[in-house]
Amino acid sequence: MGQIMGSYGARNVGLYMDDAPTFDPQAGFDYERQPRVMKAREADLISAKIPPKHRDYCAHYLLEYQSCRYKNMPLLYKCAHEKHHYLTCEKDDYVMRMKEFERERRLRLREKRITGVAF
Amino acid sequence: MASLIKKAIISNPYTVRKTLGIFCNATRNHWNFQYKPGPYPKNAAEREAAAAKYGLSIEEYQPYPESMGYGDYPKLPEIGEDSRDPHYPYDNPELKRNFNEPIHARMEIFGGDRYDPSMKRRFSLLHQWTWFLGVVGGSAALFFYLENFKFGRPVTMKQYPTNGPHYSWGGK
Repeated sequence: MGQIMGSYGARNVGLYMDDAPTFDPQAGFDYERQPRVMKAREADLISAKIPPKHRDYCAHYLLEYQSCRYKNMPLLYKCAHEKHHYLTCEKDDYVMRMKEFERERRLRLREKRITGVAF
Repeated sequence: MASLIKKAIISNPYTVRKTLGIFCNATRNHWNFQYKPGPYPKNAAEREAAAAKYGLSIEEYQPYPESMGYGDYPKLPEIGEDSRDPHYPYDNPELKRNFNEPIHARMEIFGGDRYDPSMKRRFSLLHQWTWFLGVVGGSAALFFYLENFKFGRPVTMKQYPTNGPHYSWGGK
């Protein structure tokens, strides 16, 4: 329910799933937001044949996990920790996207309230 | 036995060859020249002769139009196997057919596993089409109408290092 209503309520400001944020990322914070750091190197990802859709900010965990699988095949239970680290990182990444969505929605509502311009 | 066959071949070779030909052709091709109907009956005497040939009375005998090329073959009522009485003691119960009963010209399609043109429908064709088009068309209409009202999850686009700087949450 929550995941449906979350995007349903954003419709009246024209915000949909997988939209890009439009506001200044630093606006309204009392601290400096740090840019996210890509820890894995592109050359390593290419060498490990990680597909482009997985080359996100968690790719270094994925590299670790895959190399662990390679080393321990077929005893894959030994890679449980690596897998957990990777999936936790992906979960956090998703939560960040959800926060961005909510921030975007609230900022649009705020803009609407201040300027009185209907979307 | 061998001498009998030899005698038959020597005394009447044409008949032997013809009989052999019928058997070979019937097993190989499921057809022989005796299945071929006679010419289209032009007058009353020919009609009577054709009716007698197919074991029908002159009232129920009715040939196909000459242009169809069925010759004097009788035009029989189109009754599928399924529409025949299941309780009648037929000579061939598996085909619901009696011995010497004339076969319909399009008998292949009227078998119990195929089509029955005289079938009694449970629902009329209009009823069936209404329901079919109602369900399929209604679903399609709903699909196209709801294209503009799609739900999604409340997330922004996937963050990659390649699509611009992204910022983490939470200060120090």
